[in-house]
Amino acid sequence: MDNTESPLWQVRAFVYNHFADTTHPPRVEDAARHFNIEIEEVSALYKELHNRHALFLEPETLTIRMANPFSGIPTDFRVHTNGKTYFANCAWDMLGIPAALSSRSDALIEAVCAESNESVQLEIRDGEIISSELLKIHFPLPFARWYDDLLFT
Amino acid sequence: MLLFRSEEWIEHWCKRNHLERGETLSVAQVWELSKLWYQDRLSLDYHGRSVEQVAEIFKHAGLTSKFWYV
Repeated sequence: MDNTESPLWQVRAFVYNHFADTTHPPRVEDAARHFNIEIEEVSALYKELHNRHALFLEPETLTIRMANPFSGIPTDFRVHTNGKTYFANCAWDMLGIPAALSSRSDALIEAVCAESNESVQLEIRDGEIISSELLKIHFPLPFARWYDDLLFT
Repeated sequence: MLLFRSEEWIEHWCKRNHLERGETLSVAQVWELSKLWYQDRLSLDYHGRSVEQVAEIFKHAGLTSKFWYV
């Protein structure tokens, strides 16, 4: 199952490109229709991708909550680029979305300071980031513990 | 990972949540890390990363403290 042509990696790429194209995660029905396969087969592939940390499903469902850097639900991190608005999972992912889409695409990012609740804006222009030098991103857990609790991380 | 307007707000947040301070990066540092980490994420060829590949990205981004050990 580890070659590029396998259904697992094709579905993974479909999920990510669906997010990129529409800003939303595909339902299992969408993937089944796209690949012309049974919903049960897609369901098993979604679960396998979740087990491999390639995406993150809502507990006990087949709804995609995260396919990093994309979020399936609204968050405090909005990324406006290429005429679309995406939600990112966290402060790292708000920069990850322009990087995933193409670091040469301009982007406007609207976020919120986690403690002061003040709005913050950043820009990516011509591949360079434009923001206050005071702005900081805090990583609460060392890398070795990132997958202990993905929502907290 | 959370965004803060300044270092001072991180201190407030850690105290309020009774959490130890983690690692703090500038947005410019995280932008450089993001390009290394996410640039190939839409590709059909992306199948996740080995521990060695993750370590190489952190090293390339200048993240070499114990916090980033894989």
